[in-house]
Amino acid sequence: MEHARHVFRAIILLVVVVAVVSIGRGFLVPKSYGLHGAYRHDNVKEQMEVRAPRHGGVAACGACHAAEAERRAAGAHKTVNCEVCHGPVSRHAADGKRIAAADVDRSYLLCARCHRKVLARPEKFPQVVLEQHVKDMGADGPVEGKICLDCHHPHSPTP
Amino acid sequence: MDPKTPTCPPPSAASEGAPDGQASRRDFLQGALRLASGAFVLFSGGALAAGLHKPGAPGEGYDWSEHRYAYLIDTQKCIGCGSCARACTAENDVPEGFFRTWIERYAVSTEDSHVDSPNGGKDGFPPLQVGFEVTKSFFVPKICNHCKETPCIQVCPVGASYRTKDGAVLVDGERCIGCGYCVQACPYGSRFILPETHTASKCTWCYHRITKGLKPGCVEACPTGARMFGDMKRDGDPVRHAIEHDRVAILQGHLLTEPQCFYLHLDKEVR
Repeated sequence: MEHARHVFRAIILLVVVVAVVSIGRGFLVPKSYGLHGAYRHDNVKEQMEVRAPRHGGVAACGACHAAEAERRAAGAHKTVNCEVCHGPVSRHAADGKRIAAADVDRSYLLCARCHRKVLARPEKFPQVVLEQHVKDMGADGPVEGKICLDCHHPHSPTP
Repeated sequence: MDPKTPTCPPPSAASEGAPDGQASRRDFLQGALRLASGAFVLFSGGALAAGLHKPGAPGEGYDWSEHRYAYLIDTQKCIGCGSCARACTAENDVPEGFFRTWIERYAVSTEDSHVDSPNGGKDGFPPLQVGFEVTKSFFVPKICNHCKETPCIQVCPVGASYRTKDGAVLVDGERCIGCGYCVQACPYGSRFILPETHTASKCTWCYHRITKGLKPGCVEACPTGARMFGDMKRDGDPVRHAIEHDRVAILQGHLLTEPQCFYLHLDKEVR
């Protein structure tokens, strides 16, 4: 047995290496890593719960603003979600209660984003050359500063 | 244990002469190899067993194996209002100057073409003058293609990028080391490094919304229905129907990334 000591040494060393690797692996590799592939599976749940949805959709707005929702649904803007102009509902209300005013851009830019005549916009889509429209209405000055909402009702616009 | 395996070279004189009761070098090596492979099987078997007992769903009330999402964009319907990009920013806290989705405007003639995307189209598009006669012009919304065979996951050295069972390509910000390989690997320019955390970020199809049965923020905001989101595992889904029956195109098909973002009425100029 005396001559076999080197063999036992090597075996002990091997056992120690295996133990260190397996224990070290337990510390270094995240808990859910490799459950479904080479990634940390717990992150899927984290991504699901990263935040509460901020856009609530038309129904969320209609819960309090039934008249406006009805008017919108009957008009030319029936496909335009309230939050497109008013911003996400989460900034305005929480648990059914108002927390802040809904932020609306009331300048001509709100309407221009969709209805200004620009290259690439589908031809059938209603759009105006703003400068020409200002002139046609008999107004002076540049487009900037004009308020479309003075004449056009945004919830149920008519050309 | 036969010390003389025919395929091996004859043992050295030293081990040949080892007396009974003492391990020869060959015996030792064989034993060590067996022990090591046994240990390997034991540990990997443990990991496999853990994998077999894995939960089917990542969260309560949601089974990801029941869904496989797909995105469909009809470029003819896009009016370039930028509502999608603004909604995305608000929904996902995307920092200024970075985009999880954006809109490109193409102005094309037979000889020339011009593409612009001012602030990702978030503020809409200004009138445009180009130095050639435009024969066709259109908007193209862009977004992460959530590819099936995606290069961004392949290049990630730490397993931070992955694809969920329901088809979304996500980034684990905790694992990401911010090396930026994925940003370079993505042929669609869908990824960026977040300035505050220095980790990769991208469109998640609003994973926090779709797993609750809602649409992604951009689809919710689109006023013309140019952006559509669907589930390939749901019967009667209009997006599934369109992908199955209509002529749909994908971006950069030659790269074989199998995008899950499909286009209707896509022009050849679009990459």
